[in-house]
Amino acid sequence: MSSSQVLLFVIVGKNEPLYEAEFHKSGTTGSSDSVTRQNYFVLHSALDLVEKAAWTTNQMYLKVIDKVNQQQVSTYLTAGNIKFMLLHGGRSEDSIKNFFNDVYELYVKLSMNPFYKYDTPITAKSFDTRVRAVARRYLG
Amino acid sequence: MSKSNAAANGHSLWQKMPKANAELFALTYGTLVTELVRDYESTEDINEQLEKMGYSIGVRCVDEFLAKADQAGMVIPPCRAFGETAEVLAKTGLRMFLGVSAEVQMLSDSSFSLLIYENPLSLFVELPSDPKWKNLKYSNLYCGILRGSLEQVNLRVECKFVKDVLQGDDVNEIRVELKEVLVDGAGEEYQEE
Repeated sequence: MSSSQVLLFVIVGKNEPLYEAEFHKSGTTGSSDSVTRQNYFVLHSALDLVEKAAWTTNQMYLKVIDKVNQQQVSTYLTAGNIKFMLLHGGRSEDSIKNFFNDVYELYVKLSMNPFYKYDTPITAKSFDTRVRAVARRYLG
Repeated sequence: MSKSNAAANGHSLWQKMPKANAELFALTYGTLVTELVRDYESTEDINEQLEKMGYSIGVRCVDEFLAKADQAGMVIPPCRAFGETAEVLAKTGLRMFLGVSAEVQMLSDSSFSLLIYENPLSLFVELPSDPKWKNLKYSNLYCGILRGSLEQVNLRVECKFVKDVLQGDDVNEIRVELKEVLVDGAGEEYQEE
């Protein structure tokens, strides 16, 4: 099932997505257009559920907040109310938690850069490369 | 003043100075630069402003340096050659104020390069990839500081950044050129008859 091979990771700010990345398991090709669009749809429809789940716990890692077909959406809410959302087809809680923690560290370092303004799209190539490296390490 | 002396003096002066949080320092400088970016259009203007600010800082630095050294019982003899000035600057002066020392590369009798490996001002900084930032000298404050402090000891110099880690080089290099040795002089009104 292609949905467990493709992972969609989106960083969402107050009004718009700030960063998007698709990770493919090594060996498989990119997914088709319709699958991609469906992935985005599922992820964005889970946005309201993030708000709901945020009230239930004082942790930043909100675990799985939505399950659709074979896909699950896991979320990590940063201290500045930025949502890290991962669409996946079932991965261990631990590996996702580690992934989110490492991406959070990268995000904090980025936000310390005086040239990066909070809640603006992230365009730095170095951030993209590093996030992909983290994804490869924890999500296969 | 021998090289090892300069380094040892620098280190002990650094121990005596009051310290500030490195992250606070770097972030404050970062916001200063971003404010300048908002106020001025061209990178040349920004560089110039940073240099002017550095000049005002430098003018005050040299007095503090000599006073603290005196207090600590160190003797900093007058420099006999420009190379000695460079060594004292790099190993003692910079060490005392910033906690990092630099290496000196003499290029000629009246010019040298300061190589700074760790720059406390540019912690966490990454310049955006837009080509207009290629000319921004983020740490231009240092050039002003060097010019200001050397002017107080009667050396008129010109400093500029030739290599910048933020722009992709492996080291920060500031070229300092001696233009003129100024003569101590009061204004014309005070000339003795």
